[in-house]
Amino acid sequence: MKVLVVDDSVTMRRIIINSLKSSGFDDIVEAGDGVEGLANMDGVELVLTDWNMPNMDGLTFVKELRKSPVYADIPIIMITTEGAKTEVVEALKHGVNNYVVKPFDKETLLSKVNATIKG
Amino acid sequence: MKIEYINPFLNAVDNAMETMIGVSPVRDKPYIKDSRTTTGDITGVIGFAEKRISGSVALSFPTKTILKIYELMMGAPVDEINNEVDDIVGELTNIVVGGAKKEFSELGLPFNISLPLVVSGTNHVIKHKHDNPVMVIPYSVEGNKFIMEISLMVK
Ligand SMILES: [Mg+2]
Repeated sequence: MKVLVVDDSVTMRRIIINSLKSSGFDDIVEAGDGVEGLANMDGVELVLTDWNMPNMDGLTFVKELRKSPVYADIPIIMITTEGAKTEVVEALKHGVNNYVVKPFDKETLLSKVNATIKG
Repeated sequence: MKIEYINPFLNAVDNAMETMIGVSPVRDKPYIKDSRTTTGDITGVIGFAEKRISGSVALSFPTKTILKIYELMMGAPVDEINNEVDDIVGELTNIVVGGAKKEFSELGLPFNISLPLVVSGTNHVIKHKHDNPVMVIPYSVEGNKFIMEISLMVK
């Protein structure tokens, strides 16, 4: 399964990617914001995205994906510091399938990834 | 500054450190900042604002401390402050202010946060949101010091 990891923090991307690799995911592409994310969607089957990013933030990126017939149903997990209830509700309303609040531990991340792809 | 408005930041620092590096930071007595420069070599700053609340928070680290934190977070050491160390300072600041935001939101004081700004160099100046007194909270992780600065106005 090809996974796209979008986060403006390069170290956060590395932490997420290392967790995914330890769980057997080996086809992973990365992007630093929503614009780069949209440009790297080819063949992607699961999206993990941050919310607060320059150029195009994660919520706008999710809305763009949901508008596209190709990616309208692709599983999306938001991984963000935005943990307030209103933000979580807003993200889910716009089509995010699962939500991970930073800081997270590896087990939480992987269990949400697995729940989302079995979903 | 009311203690109920400081606690969300204290809780967020504890949670960030415990989850990201597996170490509980030790907190020392807070004091009021008396100079424009900071004690750290590298600092992450995030501003936040809404109708009733606004301010800025900085996390400032001596080189030795941030290199230790980098190693604990990334599982590999680094010799000097580089782009990735800058990045971790920004993201830690983001996680702390984001964590506090959740608690403020539950207190009925939601706010929006800026992207992190990272500044480095000895005796660098940190620009806070307000001119009112800045509170400094000293910490250490495994004997390595760092500080959090809080500038806050609640209407
Ligand atoms: Mg971000």
